[in-house]
Amino acid sequence: VQPPEKPLQAEEWNRLRESFQSPEIFEEVMLDSMVKCNSPIDVAKSLLTHVAKSNGDIAYKLLVRYLILCVQQRQTSEILDVYDIMKSRFKILENGAYTLLIRGLSNSDQWRMALTILEEVKKIMIPSRTQYECCIKAASRHQEMNLAFELYHEMLAKDLVPTLDVLQAFFDFSRGMKGAELQKELFGILLYLRENQLCPHKTFMRSIKLWFESIPERNWRGHLTNIKESGQCPVCSRQLEDSSLTEEEYNNLREKIIRDVIHGTDTFRKTSPQEFEAFQKFVENRLPFDVVIDGLNVSHVNARKMQCENLFNAVNYLAKKNTRLLVLGRKHMLSNSSNWKREIMQEMQNKADFFFAENISEDDAFLLYATLRSGKHCKFVSRDFLRDHKACLSDSLTRHLFRKWQLIYWVMSKKMLFSVFIQQPALRYDCVVQTTGDTWHIPYKDIFEEKYSYRVPRKWLCIQQK
Amino acid sequence: MQSASMLLKKIIRSSVLPFAAQHGMKKDLFPLSRTLSLSLCLEQENSCSRSEKLDLDAWKKVMKSRLQEEVNETVSECKEPATLAAAREMLEMWRLAGKSVPENITEEQLKTFMECTSKSAQKKYLKYLHLKELHKKNDKRKMEEKRERRLEAQERASETGVRKNNSFICLWANCMDKVYNWRAAQSMVFGQPLVFDMSFEKDMSVREVANTVRQIVLSESTNRRSVDPFHIHFCNFKDDSLYHKEFIKHYREAWGKLLITVTDQCYTEIFPKDKLIYLTADSPKVMKTFDHNKIYIVGSMVDRNIKTGVSLARAKRLGLETAALPLEKYLLWNTGAKNLTLDQMMQILLTMKDTGDWQKALEFVPKRKYCGFVNKPVYELKKTLSLINTLKLGKRQEELQKQFAKNYSKKQTQK
Repeated sequence: VQPPEKPLQAEEWNRLRESFQSPEIFEEVMLDSMVKCNSPIDVAKSLLTHVAKSNGDIAYKLLVRYLILCVQQRQTSEILDVYDIMKSRFKILENGAYTLLIRGLSNSDQWRMALTILEEVKKIMIPSRTQYECCIKAASRHQEMNLAFELYHEMLAKDLVPTLDVLQAFFDFSRGMKGAELQKELFGILLYLRENQLCPHKTFMRSIKLWFESIPERNWRGHLTNIKESGQCPVCSRQLEDSSLTEEEYNNLREKIIRDVIHGTDTFRKTSPQEFEAFQKFVENRLPFDVVIDGLNVSHVNARKMQCENLFNAVNYLAKKNTRLLVLGRKHMLSNSSNWKREIMQEMQNKADFFFAENISEDDAFLLYATLRSGKHCKFVSRDFLRDHKACLSDSLTRHLFRKWQLIYWVMSKKMLFSVFIQQPALRYDCVVQTTGDTWHIPYKDIFEEKYSYRVPRKWLCIQQK
Repeated sequence: MQSASMLLKKIIRSSVLPFAAQHGMKKDLFPLSRTLSLSLCLEQENSCSRSEKLDLDAWKKVMKSRLQEEVNETVSECKEPATLAAAREMLEMWRLAGKSVPENITEEQLKTFMECTSKSAQKKYLKYLHLKELHKKNDKRKMEEKRERRLEAQERASETGVRKNNSFICLWANCMDKVYNWRAAQSMVFGQPLVFDMSFEKDMSVREVANTVRQIVLSESTNRRSVDPFHIHFCNFKDDSLYHKEFIKHYREAWGKLLITVTDQCYTEIFPKDKLIYLTADSPKVMKTFDHNKIYIVGSMVDRNIKTGVSLARAKRLGLETAALPLEKYLLWNTGAKNLTLDQMMQILLTMKDTGDWQKALEFVPKRKYCGFVNKPVYELKKTLSLINTLKLGKRQEELQKQFAKNYSKKQTQK
């Protein structure tokens, strides 16, 4: 429906309503299309007047839709009026209306009113993060940083995840402001980014940089840079934090993987106790390995070649470097078939250790176990991202450890077509926000760049004191 | 109030308004209409002569005049605890906002609602209740319509006074029940056992258990109605378990009279191990024929959040033989999981038992899950499939076809 351009009389609305195919929802549809076309507010008012006069009442749905229009056009006094009416008419409102009211009022000079509404919401439920976001932004826009931080901490205490937008607003609005307390809070936000492995986008990064440079006396300088493979920052020539796990983290991860991934709720789902025991014995007797190969995965690298040929190439390539290899496979690889030639399998077994799991067992779990058991230097070869195994881990901290470990110990075959295995240099430095006190290093991503979860950002912001 | 506003309206309509507006007296005259500011009024005076007669804020007056009446009414009695009442109020507001929320909600349902751990869980639960309510209402309406129609037909029949001569007394339902029960009793003595493994309760949510029991009730009734029923065993069945409660909800008194064997023993204790075959979609072995001397086990489990390998793990632990239906071999699979509902399993097994014809048995697989039966060599099938895809999907077909071909050849080689 096309909304009219001018306010209409009651008869005209009636006529329009009758010509509409389903008159019961005419008003809703009409108000929706008014929101879409951003029609003048008077038109909506005339419709409401018509409804009020003919029914003696206006449904809540219509009021909310009218509120959307008011918020969209920033009609503060109208928003207040609607709020008054709603409040006196209904005991409580529903979340959508509250969000609209908060959003509408926080953008106006009546922004303190938004805070009172937020208080009202708290009485009946936990406010949503957008509701907090609007209030925090409004407070920081009016330089009430203390209030903004109070709301921010309240939000974190309620387990709500702030958007990057809110965090950015803090940096934007405290630019040039003094105060040790404020600085501490903002450093706190940077540490929040670190703890949650968040990576700011380009505009956010710029806000951070500008804020640092605006602090009087301290003389911070920021530079955009790319970190070298070695993990050294070209600007301040400092070494970034080492990415390898600590001994404790490493052991923790291994325990959790054995518990959650291999055993899980039922050991029989992925393997069987006898088999796992046999595997454990096998690994203990031959430790440590340098590279563990997921045999079946590697054998599918090149579809045009025989499967055992692919595996043979990989094993040959890695065996030349005098490394101790372990190849994991399944029993069906031993039966002489068109894809698995017995002679080639025999030859491979001279160069590497092989473990063949049952055909219905999952060899990935063994892969993880063998690699972790061998120690920190051990790597594994697979194209698998092991996402399903990551998902089995019970807590997010371990999942993060797993990711970190996976990034380091992942040997990729770059040129799959030629079956030449090139070891990808694993990253030696950790990709999180980090500080040494007088320097900060912050990784960031270009906002439009598609970011894959397994690809770490290469661009950094280096901030140091002069 | 009403009469006052009427009076005001009359004043507006009269020619006083432009004068008053021009002199900034409007605010004093109508304290309620705040936003219709002076400039706006003047502007509209120029642009269209008619809208000046419209009081755009009249709706506010109406709403405000109403609220006084209603505030008096809304002081209603509250028997429920405060938290429940608050939740009920909130739901009412959601309903007014046009979300899918049931009109009536019991205290028990309200409690379940408040126990939901996340907002999306709450939404889902409410939507489920809402749909249930709608279905119930529709059913009721249809029932009433039907009754009216029947009454009308009876009236017409009594008017014409026609009577049919019949050699049987009309006792269909009752007789059939007796026949079915006779057959079921025979199967209890001579029939081939079929085991439902009832040990998955801890792997399922409450709703999944309810769904499972529903499916088992359906399969039990199909079994009873078949020509040569199975002797159904519920193994690992614990009294006072959720399964038990749900069964009683469905069967009521009939639960004690069912012609099936219910036991808390495991199937391995009742039957020789080498005769048992656990049916699971995860099994690497594919069933070729239906063996009348074996005892098939079906896991009574509905898994909405896909937990692979649960029943396979159970069979592995007990060292039982496993088998999967030959779905890939006979059907050109399209979408959907390979695990079927329990009543579908029952129908397939019954048909296999009677006829041994896979084609006939697999008719019971839902049609949306497959494109058709495999009766030609694979390369020809690929051609037809690509044709289907061209018709269905247009340009995207090439990649899809490639993907399918890859998958299919992989599966073939694995066999």
